[in-house]
Amino acid sequence: MTAASADLTVNGRRASFTALPDDERLLDTLRWRLGLKGTKEGCRTGDCGACTVLVDGRSTLSCLTLTREVEDAAITTIDLGAGDREVDRVRAAFAAAGALQCGYCTPGFVIALAGLLKERGRSLSLDEILDSLQGNLCRCTGYAAIARAAALAREAAP
Amino acid sequence: MSAFELVTPRSVEEAIASLRASDGTGSAPLAGGTDLLLDIDDGRAAPARVVSLRRLPWRTLDWVGGALTIGSTLPLRSLEDDPGVRAQLPGLYQAVHAVGSVALRHRATIGGNLGRSAPASDLIPMLLALDAEVDLVGPSAERRLSVNDFVRASRRTALAPGELIRSVRVPESRPSAYVWQRVRLANDISQIAVAVAYSPSGRRWSVAVGGMPPRPVLLPEVARGLGNARPTDPALRAAGERATREVTIAADQRASEEYRRRLVGTLLGRAVRSVDVAEGVHR
Ligand SMILES: Cc1cc2nc3c(=O)[nH]c(=O)nc-3n(C[C@H](O)[C@H](O)[C@H](O)COP(=O)(O)OP(=O)(O)OC[C@H]3O[C@@H](n4cnc5c(N)ncnc54)[C@H](O)[C@@H]3O)c2cc1C
Ligand code: FES
Ligand code: FES
Repeated sequence: MTAASADLTVNGRRASFTALPDDERLLDTLRWRLGLKGTKEGCRTGDCGACTVLVDGRSTLSCLTLTREVEDAAITTIDLGAGDREVDRVRAAFAAAGALQCGYCTPGFVIALAGLLKERGRSLSLDEILDSLQGNLCRCTGYAAIARAAALAREAAP
Repeated sequence: MSAFELVTPRSVEEAIASLRASDGTGSAPLAGGTDLLLDIDDGRAAPARVVSLRRLPWRTLDWVGGALTIGSTLPLRSLEDDPGVRAQLPGLYQAVHAVGSVALRHRATIGGNLGRSAPASDLIPMLLALDAEVDLVGPSAERRLSVNDFVRASRRTALAPGELIRSVRVPESRPSAYVWQRVRLANDISQIAVAVAYSPSGRRWSVAVGGMPPRPVLLPEVARGLGNARPTDPALRAAGERATREVTIAADQRASEEYRRRLVGTLLGRAVRSVDVAEGVHR
């Protein structure tokens, strides 16, 4: 079958589809079936990081992931309300540091950084954080404010 | 309509059978999908059936003494996170860390990297220098090949129809290093890269160069020129010059021939100097 039913868990909610094409990307399911437009499409080739979501807590490029491949996983996107410790903390750090201009890259950065804090917590050095964010592109800020936000988010780690 | 049918077998036997069953219409195994899905988008691949490997029990990492066996579907991020890899195979750690970005490495696998067999693969040169082998399973017997025999050219390997890479075996821990040159630090591929490893048991060096078509290659003569311990500066310079002559340097969209020629010796010097032969520990 090439369009069977599918179940997905996104931001703690279960979503069911009666016919989901086998080749559908997670990015498209999130944006066009679920209307979760926070996750952005920048390049669709893995280069920009704008489409980053968490799959079982690990940062993942949703443009290069088949939806069916993550049916059993818990997916977290920027559209999540308040309540996730790391996402909340990184959002607050981005606001405090003024780390965005047009905002297109911001969901990807926030999710990538929140995922990194979940993965590594306080053991991360600032250099490692910045190295780990190399996969996210920003065309506006020049990265200085994003680096300040990363430092703030790290200091706020419990 | 979907461009392909996705099947998700629960056993290795079932996976091999699914790959075989669609012979003629074309099938492809899917690991992380970071190469395959782009090939499908660009029309370079058009399998009628895609066989997901995610339920196979191959996300493994096993140390036996100094030898490491890496399951083909282990995400690269898990390989990078293993403290043994960092300490015992520093060059492999550096090569894995060079691949894409964190989010990419959460899904990309070593099996997919070998399956794609890219000229600019960051893993293949290091696996060559470590004398790594691949274990294949398929419709007939299992077989073991050296990575050198497995890799042929871009998108061409020794895999037979229906065959899968089960694991990659690194025979011994080696002081080693992987250095590369690229335009962008992350999510870019290397213009040229050098992998070096020192075998304490054989008291010999291995050197491999990657980043250029048609495929990453071992340079046995250059390695011999490094002698059987830490080379002197003149020996290292001579090895660099030899490498510049021996590598068939090609130009492509990522770098000119001239640029690459200048870099080979520099990267070789940098790599060898960073390996601590005496300690067996990388600085
Ligand atoms: C933005 C971006 C940046 C990248 N940067 C780098 C980089 O810096 N360095 C680098 O080396 N690569 C890079 N790559 C390429 C790619 O991510 C790697 O080659 C990765 O290791 C592929 O693994 P995968 O599991 O995603 O492979 P897949 O896409 O799942 O598979 C790749 C190929 O191998 C086959 N295959 C997969 N698993 C098996 C198996 N077990 N047995 C037999 N065949 C198999 C598939 O059928 C397919 O032909 C990059 C890719 C992108 C999109
Ligand atoms: S849209 Fe996925 S990495 Fe750019
Ligand atoms: S704020 Fe505009 S791309 Fe980053």
